[in-house]
Amino acid sequence: MPGDGISLAHGIGGAKDLPIPAELAILGAVAALVISFTVLAIAWRSPRYDESRTGRPAPQWLARIVDSTAYRVTLRVVGMILFLYTAMAAVFGQDLLTNPVFGIFYVWWWVGLVIASVILGPVWKAISPVRTINLAFARLSGSDPDAGVFQYPARLGLWPAAFGLFAFVWMELVYPFSTELGPVRLWCAIYVALMLLGGALFGSGFYERGDPFEVYSSLVAKLSVWGRRDGRLIVRSPLANLDTTRALPGLLAILSVLFGSTAFDSFKDSNFWVTFTQDSSISTLVLNNLALLGFCVGVGVIFIAGTVTTGVGPGTRRLDLPNQFAHSIIPIVVGYIVAHYASYYVEYGQQTLIQASDPFGDGSNLLGTGDLTVNYWLSFHPTFLAVLKVLAVVGGHVLGVIAAHERAIEILPKRHQLTGQLPLLFAMIAFTVGGLYLLFAA
Amino acid sequence: MRRTAAVLTVLLFAPPVLAGCGDDTAAPPASGDDGPTTITIEFSGDSVSPKGKRVEVKAGEPVQLVVKADQPGELHVHSTPEQELEYGAGTTPLKLTIDQPGVVDVESHDLEVVVVQLEVS
Repeated sequence: MPGDGISLAHGIGGAKDLPIPAELAILGAVAALVISFTVLAIAWRSPRYDESRTGRPAPQWLARIVDSTAYRVTLRVVGMILFLYTAMAAVFGQDLLTNPVFGIFYVWWWVGLVIASVILGPVWKAISPVRTINLAFARLSGSDPDAGVFQYPARLGLWPAAFGLFAFVWMELVYPFSTELGPVRLWCAIYVALMLLGGALFGSGFYERGDPFEVYSSLVAKLSVWGRRDGRLIVRSPLANLDTTRALPGLLAILSVLFGSTAFDSFKDSNFWVTFTQDSSISTLVLNNLALLGFCVGVGVIFIAGTVTTGVGPGTRRLDLPNQFAHSIIPIVVGYIVAHYASYYVEYGQQTLIQASDPFGDGSNLLGTGDLTVNYWLSFHPTFLAVLKVLAVVGGHVLGVIAAHERAIEILPKRHQLTGQLPLLFAMIAFTVGGLYLLFAA
Repeated sequence: MRRTAAVLTVLLFAPPVLAGCGDDTAAPPASGDDGPTTITIEFSGDSVSPKGKRVEVKAGEPVQLVVKADQPGELHVHSTPEQELEYGAGTTPLKLTIDQPGVVDVESHDLEVVVVQLEVS
C-alpha cells in the first residue's frame, strides 16, 4: 500500500502555485468592473449573432479532410489506443504515484481535454472510446448505433452529465484516496459501464447529454472557431459560436459544478481553510464535502438570482432565464480553469508523458519519452504566471459579459434590456472578483 | 471566524474584496534578517505545534527546522520534487532548501496534519 501523500488527499503534485500579488488581483478586479460597464454602455443594441448567418464555410480542403471517413476513423483509433493503453496501466501497473494513470486521469483528461477542445472543437465526441465501443456493438449486431430501446427523456437534459462531473470533482478534491489505483480504476469502470448502458438504452444521442466528458468538451468547444451548419463545417468568431449553445435543462448545473469545484480547489489550499479544518472538531472530510457542495450550489444560486431579477416579456418564462443565459459563464469558467491549472497542466502534463513510457513501473521506456525531463520554467517565473492568470480570468469575464449582453437583447423586452442585465453583471463581477480573491488568498 | 465571514462576503458581493485585500495571510519570516529562517516544530503525543502556520521563505535559501519530539518520525515536504526528513526523539535540527517557488506543505503523515505551509518566493 502506498503511504505517500494519500491520507491528506493531495492529489498528484508537490508544490502549489504562489498566491498572486495583491496589486495584480486588485488591478484585475478593477479592470473587470470597468470593462463590464463599458460593454454595457457602448455595445451593440440589436442582436448580432443569428446562428443561421454567422460564420463562413471552412476552406474546402479542410472540410474535405475533416468530413472524410478516414479522418473520423483515425480519431476513433487514436482514442481507442489512448483508452486501451491507460486501461493496461490501470490493470497491470503498480499502485504508485508514478503510475501514469493518475496523470492521465487528473491532468490530461480533466484539464488537457478542455484546452484541446477550446482549440480544436468537440474533441471528446470525436475520440470518445465509449462512443466507439457503442458503434462497434451496433455494427456487430447489425443495429443502428443512434437508435436505443427508449427515447431519451428531454427533461433530463444535461443533468446526468452534471452528476457525472460532480462525481469526478468529488473524486479529485474530496475523496481521501484519490491517488490510489483501486478507486481510480473503479471510477473509470463505473463511467464506462454507465456510458455503455446509456448508449444501449437511448442510442448514441445519449452521449451528447449524458457523458460528462463529452458535454464538458463540447461546451468549451463553443469557444473555439469551429462550428457546423446544416452539416457543413464553418468558421465563426468564438462569441458567435458561444451564442449557438443550446439552453438545455441542467446547463447551469454543469457550469456551477465546474466553476464551483475549481473555486473550491483554490479555497481548499488556502491557509485559512487548512488551519480551520485542522483546528475543527468536525472531520476534514465532512467539511470538504460540505464546502464543495456549498461552492457549487452557491455559484448556481448567485447566477439564478442574477438572471431572474429582470422584467420579462409575455411568452418568456422567468425560470427559463438562468439556462438561457448560462452559456455566458462558459468563458468565465474556462478563464478560471486556465488560471487555476496552468502550471499544473504544463508541468504535470509533462511528468505524465514521461511516466506514460513506463506504464508497469518496471523501468521500461515504451514510448521513448522516459528520459525527458520536466521543464519548470513556469513555476520559476511566478510573476509571469500571475499575470497570465489575471489575464485569463479578466479575458474570460469580458467574453462572458458580451455573451450575456447579446442574449439579453435577443430575449428581453426592449425596456428591460439594460436594467435587466445589471443583476447578472453583478453576479459575473462577483464570480470574477471572487475568483481573483481566491487566487490571491491561496 | 472573521476570515470565514470575509471570504463568504467576498464571494457574495464584489466591492468588499478591495478592502479585504490588505491583510496578509502569510506570517513574516520567523527570524531576523541575518541567518536562515528558523521554524520550531514540537510534537507531543498526537498533537503538533504549529498546525498549518504559513511562513514566507526565500527560494534557494536554507530553512532551519528544529524538531522537538517525544518519538521519532518523518516530515513530508511536498515540494517539487518531494523531500522526506526524519527526526528522532528529542531535539533534531534539520536543514531544508527549496529551489522552486510555490506553496509547499510540510506534513506529518502519521498525524495527518499539515504542520507548516512554506510560501517560497
